Amino acid sequence: MNKFGKIRRDFISHPPPEPEFRFIAFTMTGAKDRMRQKKMKNQPRNVTYGSTVGRSVERGQGSQASGWVRGHQAGGQGYSRHLPKYITASHFANARAAEVNGMLKAVSKPAGSCHVFNALPKHMRRRAMSHNTKRLPSRLREGAHKLMERSQQTEKEKKQLPKRRSRRARRRHGNLLLEFNRRQRKNKWLETHIWHAKRFHMLKRWSYSLPHKPTAKTFRSSYRAMNTHALLQDLSYFCCLELQGSEELILRALVRLTSKDTGPTFGAELFLSGSRQGSIHLYRADQFPHGSLGPADFLWRPRAPHTSHRQLWIWIHPALKAEVVSELQLVCQCFEVLSTSEEICSVEETLVGQKRKRDDEDCINAPSKKLLGDCTRAAGTPVRWGSADTAITISDLTMEIVRYRLIGPLAHMVLTDTLQPANEDKETVEPSGFWWPNHSKDQTNMRLHQQQTDTFQLLRGVCSTGEIPAGCVLGLTVDDPRLSLPQRRSKTVPDLQPSADECRVRDLTLRGVVAHCSESALWDASVRHGVTHNQMPQQELNRMRSEALVPGSRLAAPPQSRVPVLLVHQPGRVRGEERRHWGSGWDLLLPKGWGMAFWIPLVYRGVRVGGLHMSVKHSQFKGQPHFPHDYPDCPAGTLFQSEQEAELIEKFKRRPPSKRTNYIKHGCLAPFCCPWQQLTEEWEELMKLNEGTSSICRTRPPEYTVLRSLRVLRQLSVWCRPSRSRRATHPPLTPEVAAALQGEWGRSLMWVRLRLLSKGQPALHAMVCVPTVSDLQLLLKDGRSSGPLEPLHKDHVKNMLKCKHKASHASKGSISAPHTNASEALPIGLIRGVWPQPLPSVLSHCSRLTLGWVQKGDFSLATGCGEALAYISASGLLHTLLQQPQEQRGIVLLRNPSSLQYRYAQIVVDI
Amino acid sequence: MAEPCSPVSATVPHNPISIPTPEGSTLEMDPMEYTLRKRLPRKLPKRRNDVYINMKTDFKAQLARCQKLLDAHREICIHGLGLAINRAINIALQLQTSSQGALQLSANTSTVELIDDLDPEDPDEAGEPLTRTRNNSAIHIKVFYPS
Repeated sequence: MNKFGKIRRDFISHPPPEPEFRFIAFTMTGAKDRMRQKKMKNQPRNVTYGSTVGRSVERGQGSQASGWVRGHQAGGQGYSRHLPKYITASHFANARAAEVNGMLKAVSKPAGSCHVFNALPKHMRRRAMSHNTKRLPSRLREGAHKLMERSQQTEKEKKQLPKRRSRRARRRHGNLLLEFNRRQRKNKWLETHIWHAKRFHMLKRWSYSLPHKPTAKTFRSSYRAMNTHALLQDLSYFCCLELQGSEELILRALVRLTSKDTGPTFGAELFLSGSRQGSIHLYRADQFPHGSLGPADFLWRPRAPHTSHRQLWIWIHPALKAEVVSELQLVCQCFEVLSTSEEICSVEETLVGQKRKRDDEDCINAPSKKLLGDCTRAAGTPVRWGSADTAITISDLTMEIVRYRLIGPLAHMVLTDTLQPANEDKETVEPSGFWWPNHSKDQTNMRLHQQQTDTFQLLRGVCSTGEIPAGCVLGLTVDDPRLSLPQRRSKTVPDLQPSADECRVRDLTLRGVVAHCSESALWDASVRHGVTHNQMPQQELNRMRSEALVPGSRLAAPPQSRVPVLLVHQPGRVRGEERRHWGSGWDLLLPKGWGMAFWIPLVYRGVRVGGLHMSVKHSQFKGQPHFPHDYPDCPAGTLFQSEQEAELIEKFKRRPPSKRTNYIKHGCLAPFCCPWQQLTEEWEELMKLNEGTSSICRTRPPEYTVLRSLRVLRQLSVWCRPSRSRRATHPPLTPEVAAALQGEWGRSLMWVRLRLLSKGQPALHAMVCVPTVSDLQLLLKDGRSSGPLEPLHKDHVKNMLKCKHKASHASKGSISAPHTNASEALPIGLIRGVWPQPLPSVLSHCSRLTLGWVQKGDFSLATGCGEALAYISASGLLHTLLQQPQEQRGIVLLRNPSSLQYRYAQIVVDI
Repeated sequence: MAEPCSPVSATVPHNPISIPTPEGSTLEMDPMEYTLRKRLPRKLPKRRNDVYINMKTDFKAQLARCQKLLDAHREICIHGLGLAINRAINIALQLQTSSQGALQLSANTSTVELIDDLDPEDPDEAGEPLTRTRNNSAIHIKVFYPS
């Protein structure tokens, strides 16, 4: 042992010269390195640098005085100069003996785990060989036998490690729950997590574990489900914030976060009544149009009689929760923490109180209860804030309410099949702890329940979800849907019989749900709490099912199985004129803990289930931006884009260099991340140059914004259309009008839809370009023309790289290389085929001016042609429209990052 | 599905209940204050042999679809709404001609109620959003082999 120690010490005291090391590090990349490490893991360390050691051994001239002198010496001196004059035999023999020992050890130990099988060609290997050595050819049998024995030995050695419990023990209910609770400490699980994890690829996003895509191929069928039947999604990861207080004060506070320009706000009469859900874009307090935060849905609780106290739910994406909460605290002046998460959790624990006795001592202190809601957050996190002067309280209801979304024209049929409105209990004998018997005693409550039930039954007569007014809300109390679970999965079919209540159905589609029918006990925290914890266990339900006389019949409803729910209509495609109401559906809001009880019955009605990927596609087909992918002005959107850039670069680097696209040659400056700020600045400068009023002393330009003002969008939408469909009521586009708009909205981006005129399938970050006059004439001549070509660009960076390479080679020989300046000028992290960071002008880099970049592009199944959603510069669009003739307004060119072919596309601004 | 392609005519009597007019008694709407959003026509229950004619799909494709359905069914029903009435009739007649008189037609007409939403531009001031109904003609042609 000490021999090894000595040699190793030698190594440490005399580190080998640099160049060879660099060579090793340079040649071995990624996978190769890993393979080598795996191979060498059993080898003694000093033989690792075999080649160099071998060489010195060959020479047989290890000098003690200077240690191990190897490699090419600087100054070009030969080896012979350093030959020692004498060798001490004992030292020399010791050193060699150590090496021999090391080598012997290396030979005797197997390199890697299965060297015996490596000796066999692949087509002769069989899986069973590792168990039965007799399946091997006899020449290898002995070695394999030894290997097997050794592996058994190591298992014995392993037993000193803490033993892994048997599968049976691990799968025991309590232990399993503990394990699950441990696993969701970092990334929260939805209630349907286990169902999803068996069928979906899961993604860890926004501190949740979320389903991304099914493992089966379901894209087309999911699309068809959205188009003709229903698609189900679990959206429980959306965060709900509750505001309580007087209506006037809440509205006064919230008006600072929104702007009327972007559409109806919190105070719109329609939403204030509580009968409709609204959606809105939030900004930082008083900063519109800057400081954009992100989109939110909101829902008011219907007014209770004789009180001005209101309740408001704001549903937001988890990526923007922290910012919205802090802004809300600011505008409502709620800084006083009323309660923290720890208190809530402890209350739950005492209430549940079903700690099972188990034999493992180590686990007794951690109760193995099923986690409900957001129990994994750190204890002491504030969840409720209040203020003395405004009397508004903000509570964080994250994961308190389960939200399922059904998308598709038959969503309401699936709901009417699944949910059975609760019937009133006539024989309420003793006052029980359950909410429904007490609730149903009140006559007004029962009358309301009757009306809600009637409205719900009317839904059966409606043919498509899109017929119902956008954003309707219906409160309901239903029986446990597990009671009427069908025996096998079937598909809900539309009702072919015309309903009897034709008149009332018509009224429903015309005016929506009456305001007071939107009331539900789900708004009540105490009811929610009670319902969550009095759920009948599945075991009990199965027992009832086994005792039922007719198998598959509906079970009698016990008193605890009444659940208050809210049904919220989702409007689908509201903007634009094509495919109206496409993708409309219903959201189902449930108290927490009831997720799986509703999920399985819904799935049994033949719906498809989609994940995050399908949400993205859904908003793409609707033509809407998806949060956080398409919000470059929001903090969450910026973060997403930088993550996406890193991911795309990583993916790009994984290809072999000769197979990568050379984006420089394709004239594509930003294949991974779009420089919006630079684009907007350059367009503004260009417009100023055109006007001839270029001011020299410019202040620091503000950040770009996204144009969301409906008034401006409406005007631009009209101007983008070719002239024949333009209405006379709108002001025509003149340079003066354009200049006025330019001044106000010059530095902003616009969300547009691009429809390809003939061929082409746009990809992510495809460039939207301004067509030249000759391009437009080409299109006039031939309507199906495939479009102009971009001339191939020159890759000057490649030459720079070559210079650098040469310089590094030359610097090995002589330090005073003339190329050092050139190589130092290169930025670090240069990737071949991608422009280095200080980008040149993005606007005029190609032969056509760049307007913007595509955020989402694909062949659209809905329209049957290529369709892209893009952000373009508003001033660029105005400039383009002014240049174009009346009948060719809104024609632009589209070019993919990895192609030189431009394609014609028509701009459509949906409002 | 047929699109309601006819422009909104001012002569259609408005439903007096659903329009609380913003400015006194006048029923005329300023186009700058409201955005007109037409809802899709009410979807009818659809059997396998129902064909809804629209103006977006290629004429030939729709004709071929009907022809194909006639191979499987003894009768099909062709529906057309508004602008698509002409095309529905055209398709039915084409089918009859190509069958050399083996097919018979029986046409019915009806009126379909369509719903328009009027979204106020400034939603906080105007009260309720307006909804109005208007009527449009529709045709239902039964194309069948006489037994």
